Amino acid sequence: MAQDAAGAVAAPLIPPIDSLIRAAQRGDQDAFEQLVRAHDQSVLRLAMNLLRSPEDARDVYQEAFLRVYRNLHSFRFDCSFHTWLYRIVTNICLDQLRKRRVRKEESAVVETPEGPLDRMEAFEQEAAHANPERTVWNRQLNQRIEQALHGLTPRERMVFELRHYHGLRLRNIGDLLGTTEEASKNCLFRATRKMRAVLGDCV
Amino acid sequence: MTCDSVAKLIPLYFYGELMPEDEDRLEEHLHGCAGCAREMERQRAMAAALDRCQAQAPPMLLQACRADLLAAIQGGAPRPEMPAKGPWTLFLEALAATLSGFHRYRTPVGAVALVAVGFFAARFTAGLPASSLSPAGEVFSTVRSVQPDNSGRVQIAFDETRRRVLSGPTGDRDIQRLLLAAAREDNPAVRVESVGLLTSRADSAEVRDALLNAVARDSNAGVRLKALDVLKPLAGDPQVRKTLAQVLLADDNPAVRMQVVDLLVLHRDDSMVGVLQNLVQTEDNNYVRLKCEKALKDMNASIGTF
Repeated sequence: MAQDAAGAVAAPLIPPIDSLIRAAQRGDQDAFEQLVRAHDQSVLRLAMNLLRSPEDARDVYQEAFLRVYRNLHSFRFDCSFHTWLYRIVTNICLDQLRKRRVRKEESAVVETPEGPLDRMEAFEQEAAHANPERTVWNRQLNQRIEQALHGLTPRERMVFELRHYHGLRLRNIGDLLGTTEEASKNCLFRATRKMRAVLGDCV
Repeated sequence: MTCDSVAKLIPLYFYGELMPEDEDRLEEHLHGCAGCAREMERQRAMAAALDRCQAQAPPMLLQACRADLLAAIQGGAPRPEMPAKGPWTLFLEALAATLSGFHRYRTPVGAVALVAVGFFAARFTAGLPASSLSPAGEVFSTVRSVQPDNSGRVQIAFDETRRRVLSGPTGDRDIQRLLLAAAREDNPAVRVESVGLLTSRADSAEVRDALLNAVARDSNAGVRLKALDVLKPLAGDPQVRKTLAQVLLADDNPAVRMQVVDLLVLHRDDSMVGVLQNLVQTEDNNYVRLKCEKALKDMNASIGTF
């Protein structure tokens, strides 16, 4: 009985995002902070993976949540908070990627509060430290992947990121980016084809 | 289905974005076409390689971002516009002002009372070993949507929440499950009570993770302090120490930092020397800095990093 009882009362204990939003809309700072903490890891992961730079990811984080803070009063629950937040984040990231394409600046080393950081060292690698050949191979593969990702347009990059790393459906991605599911399909196809061409025999 | 059309569908098939009938046709083609089957394998290999190359955020970046945001908001980011207050809100605010000091806890008080009823009931009903559940109580409804149609009918969607009281000993499995859930509730008073009652199973991985989560992420300093208190017997656990070291450098509350230092020095651990030395350099609270300096002295370590 106790087990049934616990199951019966489990549903109302799901973290209440809607009530957090309403409290934050009324000016409750604590609720806003909880709302941020419930979503900020995935936002940072998206920004970090797209921009490959801790400093840029930090800027995106700040800009995105400040926009949320300033505009939360206008959120009307017409869509999920997640969708609303991701629209903001993807817009900021797309702007950054577009600016970067114009500047064509892609230094391999970025400055961080902990000192200079080689972007390639910010990638997860297999535990191959004991095998030098494997390490060299991994480094080459990482460089190829980096090159392949830079060959994509910002929109292709975004669609690929959201589908591959964040598991969003193409229909939802179309909704987020203000386009159609069909257009997202075409983007995904073009992104895959371009990356396969650059990666060649590496995979 | 031709090889050209299959090539276009392979990425969509891989990501599960094809209609079931297209999937069947594509699978049939792959069975009979070695070239397209190889393409499919290359798609899988590329996806696996990309999985291994996700960018990894440097440690503490998340904490730094949170600190930036807090500073921006507290330091002058425009306040969100407040909706106009209705008469009901004004009445509640007037009531809250009357019950000065309790206004933050009007909901938590009810929730804590329910938990308390459960535990006091258990205390005075010795001989009932398992938890027990009261009959279904009041039902609270929240309307989610109202959709009228042209025929004069209306469709209303609403959630129902049924209040129940579960009572039992604190070590009971179901009670512990509820306490774990309550530790994530949005009422700080409920979180404090729940975290404090997780003592009896603090050594289980699930409870330990919940406590570490509270210490590292809870927005309320009272909850963080309570969780630290419960973690005291586990102060020698490497995972606990790792989290404590991060909290020590990131937490903005001096009382929390003091308690973290107390826990860290319970067990001699030379790897903490660097953490404490860093803190001495950056700490702006005299008490915390003195405590760190004393801890370093007790460990025969120098105060500075040089």
